[in-house]
Amino acid sequence: MWRMSLSTGYRACLGCRTGGSKGTWSFHAVRTCSAPALPAGRITTLQAVDFWRRHFEERGVTEPEQSSQYIIAHLLGAKMIESLGQERLTEFLSQKEMKQLWQLCTKRLSRMPVQYVIEEWDFRDLTLKMRPPVFIPRPETEELVGLVLTDLQGNSGPGVDADSQQTCLEVGCGSGAVSLSLLKSLPQLKAFALDRSQDAVDLTRENALRLGLSDRLKIYLVDVMKDPETVLSLCRSFSAVVSNPPYLFSEDMMSLQPEIFRFEDHAALDGGADGLNVIKRLLTLAPHILSNHGRMYLEVDPRHPPLICEWVDVNVKELQYVETRHDISGRPRFCILQKEKSHKDYEQESD
Amino acid sequence: MLLLVTHISRMFSVTRGVFWRAAPRLSPLLRPTPPGLTCVSSVGKKDLVDFPVLIEDELEEQFVRGSGPGGQATNKTSNCVVLKHIPTGIVVKCHQTRSVDTNRKRAREIMREKLDVAYKGELSEVLVKKKESVLKKDEKRRRVNENLERKRQFKESLSADSKPENDTA
Repeated sequence: MWRMSLSTGYRACLGCRTGGSKGTWSFHAVRTCSAPALPAGRITTLQAVDFWRRHFEERGVTEPEQSSQYIIAHLLGAKMIESLGQERLTEFLSQKEMKQLWQLCTKRLSRMPVQYVIEEWDFRDLTLKMRPPVFIPRPETEELVGLVLTDLQGNSGPGVDADSQQTCLEVGCGSGAVSLSLLKSLPQLKAFALDRSQDAVDLTRENALRLGLSDRLKIYLVDVMKDPETVLSLCRSFSAVVSNPPYLFSEDMMSLQPEIFRFEDHAALDGGADGLNVIKRLLTLAPHILSNHGRMYLEVDPRHPPLICEWVDVNVKELQYVETRHDISGRPRFCILQKEKSHKDYEQESD
Repeated sequence: MLLLVTHISRMFSVTRGVFWRAAPRLSPLLRPTPPGLTCVSSVGKKDLVDFPVLIEDELEEQFVRGSGPGGQATNKTSNCVVLKHIPTGIVVKCHQTRSVDTNRKRAREIMREKLDVAYKGELSEVLVKKKESVLKKDEKRRRVNENLERKRQFKESLSADSKPENDTA
């Protein structure tokens, strides 16, 4: 087992778990990360930002400037370096601050994502705690929430019934970003969140408590691949089902950047050979857990939408493909489907 | 058996949610796109100010997500949003927060403010020109009246001079 020669509290690199050819070892091998020495004299905030930016650059750490800025800002109690006043920026860092800064930046040297280094990140209007290996919410997923809100916030339309309670289900909640975001924006909503990872369930619970939303959120440790029946037992009439399921193609896992490969849960990423394992399971479950006209919202790989459309047409009656939406980069990213129970289905049931 | 035809939205035309919908009495879809700008009372924090409504089709948005494939396959912290208003060429850059979604919303708020200034700028130019022409007319009228008055007084003085009672010392 590799052990990084860094200080305390360090997980062994995730890259070690996967075996493989020599090629993969060299790509994912973790070089010993020796931190630069603490400067002898005192340095100002701005000087520290610059110091670490240069050092990250030298070590091939991606986003050297942003990394340096986010870490230092966070250490000094701000979210963005721009929030710190001119005074603070030209002020010397205390000995304690220097020490803490060095500890944090050393973590970043090992390619730990900034979000894990500072143990938090923002998602829409929420600040969430982050902790490896729980999946870090991506900016694209903020749009997924927007799509659900558009439908649930309207006076009428899919999933909206003024008289009955709106409920939503999230599969693969991770840090809780999606569910908590929906709850924050829809005071009347009740949400169920599932994840197969205990770490994820714990983190979602923690974030829910911090945000004062735990009274409207039920969290369950469930693996939708192993125990789909458990999902059926929760509720059979969700207004909406939303998911950012693992959707990467197995063959693409090996070329992931170190930030992801070494630190994030591979099970949250790997969707199988065609990236559709979990997605297909969700599509199959959808008609059994959605209320009539209720919708499923999925974030997917850009290659998936036409494949999903076709697969649903053939394999899932009662589920209609509504539309594909693109993300801010212009890639097909979201699939919206709707449960439509036809009269034929009602007749068949009564037989 | 497909209920609806698969709809692929345009690359840069992202349909937004409730946030950017126009005030109830005006639907951006029904209203013809004016070459200039339409001012509508916005329902929001600055209720008293009429900011222009943004038409998403007139905007081009750029977000640099690095060269990677995006989504789960990428983990980047860059979140700067660049918004361009095509008709006026005005560009807004926003990286105020750590949330891309929030930055997009803020960029649009800032854009509306900038368009408002641009619009009012145009408007005041028109007013100034109008004012100028009005002033010119007034000036002309005044001069004409003055001339008439001078002529009248001259005529009066001529008739006064010819009166017999006038003594000259």
